[in-house]
Amino acid sequence: MLRNELAVTLRIMGIRWRGQMAYRASFWMQVVSNFIINTAEVLALFAMFYRFDDLGGWTLAEVAFLHGISMITFSIADTIVVGLNAVPNQIRMGEFDRVLIRPMSSWLQSVVSEVSLRHLGQFSQGLIVFIYAVSNLSIEWSLAKVGVVAMMVIVGFALFSALFTVEAILSFWTVNGVEAVNAFTYGGSTLARFPLHVLERWMRFLFLWMVPVGFVSYYPTLYVLGKEDPLGNPAWFMFLGPLFVLLFCLLIAWGWGQAIRRYRSTGS
Amino acid sequence: MTDTMISAQKLIKTFPIKKHHAGALGALRGLVDRTPDEQFTAVDNISFEIERGEMVGYIGPNGAGKSTTIKMLTGILVPSSGEATVAGITPWENRKQLARQIGVVFGQRTQLWWDLALIDSLDLLRHMYQVPEKRFRENLDHARELLDLDDFLRTPVRQLSLGQRMRGDLAAALLHDPPILYLDEPTIGLDIVAKARMREFLSALNRDRQVTILLTTHDLADIEHLCKRIIVIDHGQVMYDGGLDALRGRFGGKRHITVDFEQEPDDAIMTLHNGQISVVERTGPRVRIAFDRTAITAPELLARAGRYGSVRDMSIEEPQIEEVIRQMYEGARV
Repeated sequence: MLRNELAVTLRIMGIRWRGQMAYRASFWMQVVSNFIINTAEVLALFAMFYRFDDLGGWTLAEVAFLHGISMITFSIADTIVVGLNAVPNQIRMGEFDRVLIRPMSSWLQSVVSEVSLRHLGQFSQGLIVFIYAVSNLSIEWSLAKVGVVAMMVIVGFALFSALFTVEAILSFWTVNGVEAVNAFTYGGSTLARFPLHVLERWMRFLFLWMVPVGFVSYYPTLYVLGKEDPLGNPAWFMFLGPLFVLLFCLLIAWGWGQAIRRYRSTGS
Repeated sequence: MTDTMISAQKLIKTFPIKKHHAGALGALRGLVDRTPDEQFTAVDNISFEIERGEMVGYIGPNGAGKSTTIKMLTGILVPSSGEATVAGITPWENRKQLARQIGVVFGQRTQLWWDLALIDSLDLLRHMYQVPEKRFRENLDHARELLDLDDFLRTPVRQLSLGQRMRGDLAAALLHDPPILYLDEPTIGLDIVAKARMREFLSALNRDRQVTILLTTHDLADIEHLCKRIIVIDHGQVMYDGGLDALRGRFGGKRHITVDFEQEPDDAIMTLHNGQISVVERTGPRVRIAFDRTAITAPELLARAGRYGSVRDMSIEEPQIEEVIRQMYEGARV
């Protein structure tokens, strides 16, 4: 049953992708403009390193590595899981009922209600930055390290998906937009581009332990780059990322169930 | 042998009413107000049983609780108390399992994907409901023929006219051969021809495929054409559950006819008054007459009225649901 639901999910996503790409000119314009918008931040990074030689002991290439991973991960989530942003509006317009009539998970249906291909602009930019970083670093690559990079992307994607879901969940209770969550999604992805130890203590706490953004990228990156953690935490911290994100996702899954339960109890 | 497809047992649904605080400080007061919310009972102890193959009209004025009942029977809403069984399943407990047994057409909202072509929506639903390829082809061809879909099969749903969209929704609802069909205002906004076609389609569906249909509508003509049994609800309670003829005979008998004469008719027209006929209004050449249609037909009445003047034009008012129900109130609860 679940396998069929996932197959249908992919099918719907495919249809939406093709639909958006059908408008060729519009598609390319959006991707390019998204690319350009993200250039500003990358340029800011380079500008910073023009001024300073290093950031808390991190070179430009090393920070760029973090940037690349973060941009890639976030843009994938922003492309695929963006349908969740439409949930508040669907509820307001009374269009959420039809979701409950169908033999398919309400969450999956919400996810595929939209795709946003323009974030491929950010994705390509992230890829470029990542390649720049890797080609300027002398990383001793191993199968394990490649695996860790893949893990970062997958776990990061899961985390951002969960965060997008939070906003949708909250919209079942409040009428107004829950813009505060954006501080964690967009804010979190921005912060994840910088080595954690340069952040203030409270920020580190927030983004390491509360919303495990830091665990997803910082510690695995330390491992890949072969750096020591100035905060003194052991190397196996990098495996806490997947664990924490898994727990977080389970929590959010429960939250979604509660939201649906409330909707079916109060009708709106 | 009973084959009950839909069974509602003492369903109750209450909603908390959000209190509204007026004035500049209203929002703030609302935040600190700890008194319990008032409850609004939308559905108040509703019970009924529908057998396989029945086509039942579910009618009532706006706000009567029709939509709320349907939402509970489709698994969208969880009742405050009471039970229900649809195709052997408790709707709110097994939403996804139930979904495969029911087809739903909401007159006001589409089930189709807004930006996709109709055929793409249907194809998606085929995969979602896991309809075998062959069966899908058969149902699709059947729907294409009976509902005349070929003209707009490739058109995006957002570009369809209301009538086309309703036909598309109907085809979509039946793709997976559900034994039960819920229709919420299916003919709303349709022109006469489209209405007739839809009624014919539903009639055939019920007759040939034994599909159990629960139909919510404001249109008494829909009911008259399609349903032998109706359930009337008002203020969340069942007012009447039985044959249409019996109801019509008891409550829907009173009709109004407006007759326009060439000139003001003879005063003797007032002698039309009797137990079944009454002259309600007279303004110059126009006369409005109420009559009991079980006692006299409209043409007969017209013929009689014609004795008092030369008739130029006439129109008959259909009894509205609200009127029937109001008359029900005036009589005893059935």
